[in-house]
Amino acid sequence: MSNNRCYIQGSAAISAQPTFEGDFFSLPMIVTEANNLVAVEPDYKAFIPPNSLRRMSRLLKMGLTAALKAVQNSGQPSPDVIITGTGKGSLSDTEKFIRDIVEYQERALNPTPFIQSTYNSVNGLIALQQKSTGYNNTFVHRGFSFENALLDSMLQLAEGEVKRTLTGCFEEMTAEHFYIKSRIGFWKEADTGNAQLFDRNTPGSISGEGSTFFMLGDERTENTEACIKGMKMLYKPSAEALERGLKDFLDKHDVGIGDIDLVISGRNGDANTDHYYRILFSANCPATPEVPFKQLCGEHDTAGAFAVWLAAQILKQQQLPVSLQAFVANPPKAFRRILIYNHFIGEQHTFFLLEHV
Amino acid sequence: MEELKQKLKQQIIEALNLQDTKPEDIDDNAALFGDGLGLDSIDSLELMVLLERQYGIKVEDPREGRKILASVQSMAEFIQSKQTA
Repeated sequence: MSNNRCYIQGSAAISAQPTFEGDFFSLPMIVTEANNLVAVEPDYKAFIPPNSLRRMSRLLKMGLTAALKAVQNSGQPSPDVIITGTGKGSLSDTEKFIRDIVEYQERALNPTPFIQSTYNSVNGLIALQQKSTGYNNTFVHRGFSFENALLDSMLQLAEGEVKRTLTGCFEEMTAEHFYIKSRIGFWKEADTGNAQLFDRNTPGSISGEGSTFFMLGDERTENTEACIKGMKMLYKPSAEALERGLKDFLDKHDVGIGDIDLVISGRNGDANTDHYYRILFSANCPATPEVPFKQLCGEHDTAGAFAVWLAAQILKQQQLPVSLQAFVANPPKAFRRILIYNHFIGEQHTFFLLEHV
Repeated sequence: MEELKQKLKQQIIEALNLQDTKPEDIDDNAALFGDGLGLDSIDSLELMVLLERQYGIKVEDPREGRKILASVQSMAEFIQSKQTA
């Protein structure tokens, strides 16, 4: 996908770090000792009326609030279309509904958890709040969920039929789901925490959650943070295909590796899958500064969106957040282009290229 | 009856997650929907579920439901009539 008219006009991120309300760039990383990073939730009352708030589950509140804040930060009117991605949707509602089915023997089932367990419930709420009656879609494709939402948005902007798309993602972790994923080796066995994520060469990572939204538009505005030049998805690539994929991606955008000022990588401390990052970086861009991001937000299906948000903020502020400075001995004088490479459990691999505007 | 109404108010607050509302804030005869407590159609479904789960009463006719769920008073009267029937 190639498009030079996709500008991030505004964004918002709710994550395990003070990205929504705090001064993320000057504060140190919020550290956890356990293997799950929990989102720092804002005061929702500033965004959602109390009568609506009372019925919403945690994920709906996070998704809707991040979306509304992204629109607010853009300074633009309502989006023409709303496109999101989620790997799991509202797990807490799904679990509640399934438990009720068992407990009440499929009778007297409360409608709210069922309604909210559907993947597109966040989109519906955003549309109601924004009075948006345009195209509205949610992509559910595991590690490509956000990426497909972004692809759809970029295509719609490229076609010129819409001016602004609200694009984002949302993910939550529950105790039940954490346990299920731990049974299949997703998480590290010993409590590792995010500060030691890269110190132990052991299988598994740490979990995360959050919601990230972008107001994307085909025009640069006063509030524009960065430009998304392109994105490329690769499914289960071999080492050769991955290297070729990176080269093709950069060639397509007429960018050499020397033009990249920073690489943001999705390495997550998992001894089973971090070799992809080593293969790619040691062979192709050994001299380019690289910072990982999953110690900040944890591993989850839509973590790639957090990396895009992070890249946009670095490009806008022209500096690295304090929490990432230790990874770069000699930071570049200016951040003009940032390459993001992320994969989800070694299956869904994505490159993003962002530019300063 | 008084005891039932107090219990019902507490159950409504919990089932509908009416934050910042206390049982004493709900008038026995105030409308639950519209101008009163401001509940909506999904709340009415949740109250139907509450009646079934907590009191074993299933409201078969939706038109009947509108009258039953009008207020705490009408709900309590309906529960009592079913329990004594």
